[in-house]
Amino acid sequence: MGTPSATASAGPGASPGAGAGRIAALQGALAAEHAAVYGYGVAGAMLAGRQQAAARAGWIAHQRARDTLETMLTALGATPVAASAAYRLPFAVTGGASAARLVAALEHGVTRAYLGVVAVNDASLRSFGAQAVQAAAGQAYAWSGNTEAFPGLPGTQS
Amino acid sequence: MLSRRQLLAASPSTLPLILALSACKGPAVLSAPPTVSPQTQMLLHSVTAELNLIWIYTRASAAYSGLAATLDPLRAEHAAHLTELRSRVIEPAGRPVPATVTARPALAGTQAGVLAQIRAAEQAAVRTLMSRLSGASPSLAQLYASIAASESVHVTVLNARIGG
Repeated sequence: MGTPSATASAGPGASPGAGAGRIAALQGALAAEHAAVYGYGVAGAMLAGRQQAAARAGWIAHQRARDTLETMLTALGATPVAASAAYRLPFAVTGGASAARLVAALEHGVTRAYLGVVAVNDASLRSFGAQAVQAAAGQAYAWSGNTEAFPGLPGTQS
Repeated sequence: MLSRRQLLAASPSTLPLILALSACKGPAVLSAPPTVSPQTQMLLHSVTAELNLIWIYTRASAAYSGLAATLDPLRAEHAAHLTELRSRVIEPAGRPVPATVTARPALAGTQAGVLAQIRAAEQAAVRTLMSRLSGASPSLAQLYASIAASESVHVTVLNARIGG
């Protein structure tokens, strides 16, 4: 995934508060990445074989995405949000099946967060966010086996 | 400037003279219908693109019944995309939203060829949606990005079917 310049120029109609909007959207994505890093660690402990290897690859990918977002936020003059010490899981993870469901749920959260970046009125950030939405939707499918008409857009009729 | 009373008092024969002497321009000529904004134009193109995708899915499913289990759920998602995109068209009033397929390519002669053909169409659709992000409103950009993500997953599904 390409990394846009943190000081990319705003698109037409950008308001004086556009910088704050960029920071808020990126902080939202970063918070989702922190949660994904934590959750992949929990899920990975319950998985074995190829699934565990896939979870490890996902865990590393989300760490890289986290680092990218932190760099972008720092370049914008913001202090990146920190990870929580622990996260409440949406359901009990007791084995391989629930671990896979957890990973899919995490990816859905990441998808929604990056759609927030897409809403920012900045061409390069939109492209960056949309590529991340595709990656997360692809991972959600890989772990759930279900396709969606509108990944990350809750409430949209599908 | 003429007062309302002066205008009301003028007879039909004297009104043009009064208007001319008072430097009034008279009633404005009806202007042409409003043009479609670039954003709406992109939205209408997106509607047509979904119609074209649905058409090829429908034809492929009818021609190769063995593909229906793979293709029909994906076609249903394109139908949902179409419904949502059509619901976003709010201007210009009275202009019909496209309902006609504009591309009817010949189907490939084999099942594998058809899958590859649909995959290529999905990939092209993703590229087009990504190219529309910068000119769209925030809400439409999110919709385009979400649909692009859905269609990129379709590519993955088709890849698996082709590989399997």
